[in-house]
Amino acid sequence: MARVVEAPTRAGLRWRVWRGGRYQQERLLSALFLLPALLFLLVTSVYPLLYSLVLSFYTWNMSIPNSRPVFLGIGNYTGLVKNPQFLNSIQVTFLFVAVSICIEFVLGMALALLITSRLRLIGLLRTALLVPIMMTPVVAGVLWRSLFHSTYGVVNWAIGLVGLPPQEWLGSASQALGAVIAVEIWQQLPVVIFILAAGISALPVEIFDAARVDGATGWQAFRYVTLPLLKPVIVVALLLRVMDAFKIFDVIFTLTQGGPGGATEVLSMLIYKTGLKFFQIGQATAMSWVFLVFILVISLLFIRQLERQEER
Amino acid sequence: MAVAVQHPHARPFRLSRPLLYLAAALMAVLAVFPFYWLAMTSIKPGNQVATNPPILIPTQLSLQNYHDVFAVEDLPHFLANSLIISLASTALTVFLGSLAAYALAKRYLPYRLRHSILLWVLITRIYPPITTAIPYFVLLRRIGMSDTHQALIVTYVAYGLPFVIWLMLGFFQDMPTEIEEAAVMDGCSLWQRFSLVVIPLALPGLAVTAIFAFVYSWNEFLYASMLTSFNAKTLPVVISGYMSDKFLRWGEMSALGTLMVLPVIVFAAGAQRYLVRGLTFGAVKE
Repeated sequence: MARVVEAPTRAGLRWRVWRGGRYQQERLLSALFLLPALLFLLVTSVYPLLYSLVLSFYTWNMSIPNSRPVFLGIGNYTGLVKNPQFLNSIQVTFLFVAVSICIEFVLGMALALLITSRLRLIGLLRTALLVPIMMTPVVAGVLWRSLFHSTYGVVNWAIGLVGLPPQEWLGSASQALGAVIAVEIWQQLPVVIFILAAGISALPVEIFDAARVDGATGWQAFRYVTLPLLKPVIVVALLLRVMDAFKIFDVIFTLTQGGPGGATEVLSMLIYKTGLKFFQIGQATAMSWVFLVFILVISLLFIRQLERQEER
Repeated sequence: MAVAVQHPHARPFRLSRPLLYLAAALMAVLAVFPFYWLAMTSIKPGNQVATNPPILIPTQLSLQNYHDVFAVEDLPHFLANSLIISLASTALTVFLGSLAAYALAKRYLPYRLRHSILLWVLITRIYPPITTAIPYFVLLRRIGMSDTHQALIVTYVAYGLPFVIWLMLGFFQDMPTEIEEAAVMDGCSLWQRFSLVVIPLALPGLAVTAIFAFVYSWNEFLYASMLTSFNAKTLPVVISGYMSDKFLRWGEMSALGTLMVLPVIVFAAGAQRYLVRGLTFGAVKE
């Protein structure tokens, strides 16, 4: 192809001048654009975390007036291994996260497939699914506490309709965690449905036609076409949901306060009680750091997986 | 709307049309019922609030609960706190976050640096709020900032920034580069391009980002309960005070809860177009 050599236009000249002279200046300026946000994050997240790491090596009961932290070494950490409350809390947390996430993804996948069919009134359904996501967690907690009430609660009334006897729910050590998980699923399942449905809708239609021509059954098409293609979206959704499930605090605080007898005492709740109710700052910060390391390891595994997908 | 696209062969199961609608209806009812219950309870007269069997459709309406909530509880003060703190933190987060996202979307800085900054920003959002809550509490008490609006605003900006940066980055990267190049020709500086060209074009994305940031601040409870006692106390902290099983103040709780949740749902319904993008930090687009 023959190239036409043009005389430099005014705009072209400006572009060249800009590339040469102003490039460095703009580079500096763009760093300046970044600076406020990064400084903000340094001061508000990195500094408190480092301070918390320091505090975790001290013993300090802040409720005693004018008390100061006293250096202890790794005592707070070794104490955790023998702390039955902490060990119980780890168990509760992992059980809560694992069960909620499993149910959310199995149900979420089924319902996402369902709502990606051609339905009338899909807008209405979407708005309905938005309600739990946007409800203030504290309101959801207090509201579900009233729904689970053993005498006046709607839940007991509803199971009564199918002939089941009223249950204790939040007051029972064996049912409380299940009830808390139910609330979590109610509030977060729509998130999973929305994300997976968006992923499914973005899949190329042709490939399913090809699968059908090749004689794939509905299940085979799902297992060998839909699922593998959806994997990147599933990984993103999993990362976000797992991280958020570990963070749960408001709902449990308002539903059960971690009770009865520690049955729903997730790590956030235990750290809250230790640090902000009993003011054992050293112990609470040590727990925080163990919790933090757990979560960072898990999320970095997910993030690495995501990066590998992007490279491909 | 994107979700309405049909994928007939993606499904391992087949449902007849009526069953499909039945399942969809059931899903909608389960999702909405608790909110319906909240709203209905808020307009019931006192003697219909806690009954066995529960009254699903109130036969009498009363605004007594709303009246009680506003009369007794210093509510206007707390409502103002919630509004001031949420609006201020949203404005600040969106401004600082968009600036940073714009700088990261431009390729001035080396790739490795931008990549590590983004990863670090993401990680600051990953750790549970409780893990910074305690050092935060100690530090703020030490510098005497407990129970101030500023303390909560700063906290919410910090929490919202990673979200805004990631989301706006996606919106900026989607923008055709020609428009900005044209602005360069016209001699616009980086700041002029950002404020006069890029931001107006990204306005829909910016609005959605702002809604999400607002909802977060509006709903936040842990830091609000820990850092405030009266001056800067926000609505979620007030609501948590209705937790008691003994006195069953469900009527007032429902009135306040409805007041908190209803505006958020209305706003969020408006943000539906970019909902998934917002929910996934910009990782999945509709």
